[in-house]
Amino acid sequence: MPVFKTPFNGYSVKFSPFYENQLAVATSQNFGILGNGRLHILQLGPIITERIAFDTSDGVYDICWSESHDSVIVAAIADGSLKIYDLSLPPTANPIRSLHEHARECHGVDFNTVRKDSFLSASWDDTVKLWTVDRPASVRTLKEHAYCVYSVAWNPRHADVFASASGDCTARIWDVREPGSTMILPAHEFEILSCDWNKYDDCIIATASVDKSIKVWDVRNYRVPVAVLNGHGYAVRKVKFSPHRGSLIASCSYDMTICLWDYMLEDALIGSHDHHTEFAVGVDMSVLVEGLLASTGWDELVYVWQHGTDPRAS
Amino acid sequence: MAATGDAPPSSAGQNPPDPGVSQAMQPSLADHQVTKVDAVKESSPTSVFVNSEPIREDQVENAVKFLSHPKVRGSPVIYRRSFLEKKGLTKEEIDEAFRRVPDPSPPVATTQPVVTNSDEQIKASSNAQQQPPAQNLQSTSVIPASSVPKKGRFTQFHWSHVLFALGFFTASGAGTAVLFKNAIIPRLKLWIRKVVLEEEKEEGMLKKNDKRSIEEEAAAAAKAAAIAAADVARASQEMLIATNEEKRFFEELISTLNVQVREMKSMSNSIKKLEEGQSISRRIIVDEQDYQRVSLTSSQLPYTNGKANNDSHSARSLSPPAYVEPSVGVQSKSYGEIMDMIQNGENPFNIRDVNDASSNPDQPVLNPRSEPRPKPWGFSRSQNSSTNVLDTQESGNISSYRLPDKQLNGDDPVPWWQRQNPRITEIESDNDQKSGPSNRLGIERPVQHSWVPPQPPPVAMLEAAAAIRQPKKRPYQKEEMTDDQSLARAPDVTDELQRITKISESGGFVDTDGEYSQVSSTEIQKEDNGSYL
Repeated sequence: MPVFKTPFNGYSVKFSPFYENQLAVATSQNFGILGNGRLHILQLGPIITERIAFDTSDGVYDICWSESHDSVIVAAIADGSLKIYDLSLPPTANPIRSLHEHARECHGVDFNTVRKDSFLSASWDDTVKLWTVDRPASVRTLKEHAYCVYSVAWNPRHADVFASASGDCTARIWDVREPGSTMILPAHEFEILSCDWNKYDDCIIATASVDKSIKVWDVRNYRVPVAVLNGHGYAVRKVKFSPHRGSLIASCSYDMTICLWDYMLEDALIGSHDHHTEFAVGVDMSVLVEGLLASTGWDELVYVWQHGTDPRAS
Repeated sequence: MAATGDAPPSSAGQNPPDPGVSQAMQPSLADHQVTKVDAVKESSPTSVFVNSEPIREDQVENAVKFLSHPKVRGSPVIYRRSFLEKKGLTKEEIDEAFRRVPDPSPPVATTQPVVTNSDEQIKASSNAQQQPPAQNLQSTSVIPASSVPKKGRFTQFHWSHVLFALGFFTASGAGTAVLFKNAIIPRLKLWIRKVVLEEEKEEGMLKKNDKRSIEEEAAAAAKAAAIAAADVARASQEMLIATNEEKRFFEELISTLNVQVREMKSMSNSIKKLEEGQSISRRIIVDEQDYQRVSLTSSQLPYTNGKANNDSHSARSLSPPAYVEPSVGVQSKSYGEIMDMIQNGENPFNIRDVNDASSNPDQPVLNPRSEPRPKPWGFSRSQNSSTNVLDTQESGNISSYRLPDKQLNGDDPVPWWQRQNPRITEIESDNDQKSGPSNRLGIERPVQHSWVPPQPPPVAMLEAAAAIRQPKKRPYQKEEMTDDQSLARAPDVTDELQRITKISESGGFVDTDGEYSQVSSTEIQKEDNGSYL
């Protein structure tokens, strides 16, 4: 599939969990420092076309599709708000919600895939907030990190458990039924930018850090990592477990590459793509189409390709 | 890697909501009570996501030592906790350490050390006088200096201790020297006497006796002095080691605190500058001096060149994602241009005003047009029902959906809420077959949310408690839900119907508080016209 060029710098990509050929891209003007943002909904096919785009006053840092409504998407905005869009409504009716509670930039969102009713937001104001689509205010605010929270991820099996990754160099496991975090993983010596759960083993979690490594942990024995994946030349911005193969991990980094790993192997790095010419900041693997990958970066390009093929080939 | 079966194996129910909440959902969940109860029993005591390690005493002791440090006392609690967490202590261990340190204000963020305890324990010795007054207040847990060196505890009486040791050393050395001299001299004389033995044997005998007694005394004294010297040497060595350890701990903390101070200074600078004029503050120099962290600590700015630090709509403020030296090639050129522009106070001219506010905060979330797709790894609750009731509507919409332009202009004379009926019954029958306890909203009206969190402990979560107890106040609330809530969920159609009836009865006007307006409710009606076939 060829490339799609966005007017602004890309920040995140997410495949729709309902439609195989639908992709959302979060972009921000001026590298996300200052300026507007835009949320693109793309239609995949022999060429990538834009179905619709929404403009925002501030950059869009992350997006997540609703798991219960096929046309609802949540966007994390750099002014600290969360905006919910319903694609089945006309553009003038969108966004259907604007939830502004965070005091700082909102950097990550994740939707619950088990109960499909709630989502989390991670913000630079050190808090994680739990929301449901129908409520105008957050349900819970979880404030324990000592620095920016960059990423949250729901456990794919347990509806109440999630993990958060923060700039205070710890990752925390939470249970929404408990008042605070249930586990603290001092995973790295530097800031942790992303975390994700293994979809096939609900006790395995991967953390990606500024120290250029990805560490895979088993929460049952969290003092020692299961695997340490080195190979990136700069900070690893995002890590994602494959929805189809339990040990496959995709990662993107400021070294402008997308890498694929199998952490069960001795030589974990199984693939590397350097199609981006700027920071690669977003990567996603499709849940509906096995092996379909998408990535975006500050070079304002979105690539979609099948695992094993060259992203630049059309 | 297939899913392992070590976690709660029940595939249907995982960690259902609290029993208190589930009561409201029982009518719809009656089928799955058993599996859910099992899951609850299994998950709570054996949750894998909780620390099950016992408290490690050595870690707690180290933490206590750390927390007893005067400089640590002056730092905010959150930073103390963060430091200990980074060292790998669990929550229980950290709490235990806070409990042991005689500072009666552990979990609340405070920077004031308590003084009362310390006053009692301050000694009037010269040691206390040597310390600056601030430290006096904090020398609570100090054990008398003389017994400290053996245990290796950090004390305030550092210097006096050294002096004491030095004095002891000197004295013992001098004594040893003197006694040794006295021992040598008799020996010399003895030797001389031996040479002239025959002539002065008797006198030599007498003298030897005297000297022997003197000798013995001298030897004993020398031994004692040597033992004392050895003790002192050992003690001072232990003390040195302890001091080094504390120094290291201390240095780490100091640098962290310095970092925080720097950040605060820079923030106050930026605030000052903001107040002065419009110019955005100059970039803050990235400092890479931290003991272990690259230029990414809290006081550092992102990107290579640092950042402006306005709040609100201006450039990102201080603590953005941490970036290591990025590629200096293509990216830095335009990136650098933008940074320069911002630092010079100009806004990049390509920004425009976008009104992205929610035009209609009550816009109800419409029913989804298709079923949630099953996940390849399972565990998703919506897989069960395979009813295809809705498929007929969406036969053409699976792979791509059109904006509902065509459907918006329903031009049949039937009121749209009557038209809904066939679909409603379909969905209702659909609901009965579905599992997914909280996937759909409970049919019960009072349950306004598909998922209500369990009652949080009273201490924290005031906001959540408030939110739970006062979701939204509406004049007509006691009978029905509000607009957006009522239309929030697909199966919540009975409520919808009631609300619709209510609206139509009241002539399309629902009196709500400021947020909602008459227009909005009619808009809702119109929208629903289009979305429901």
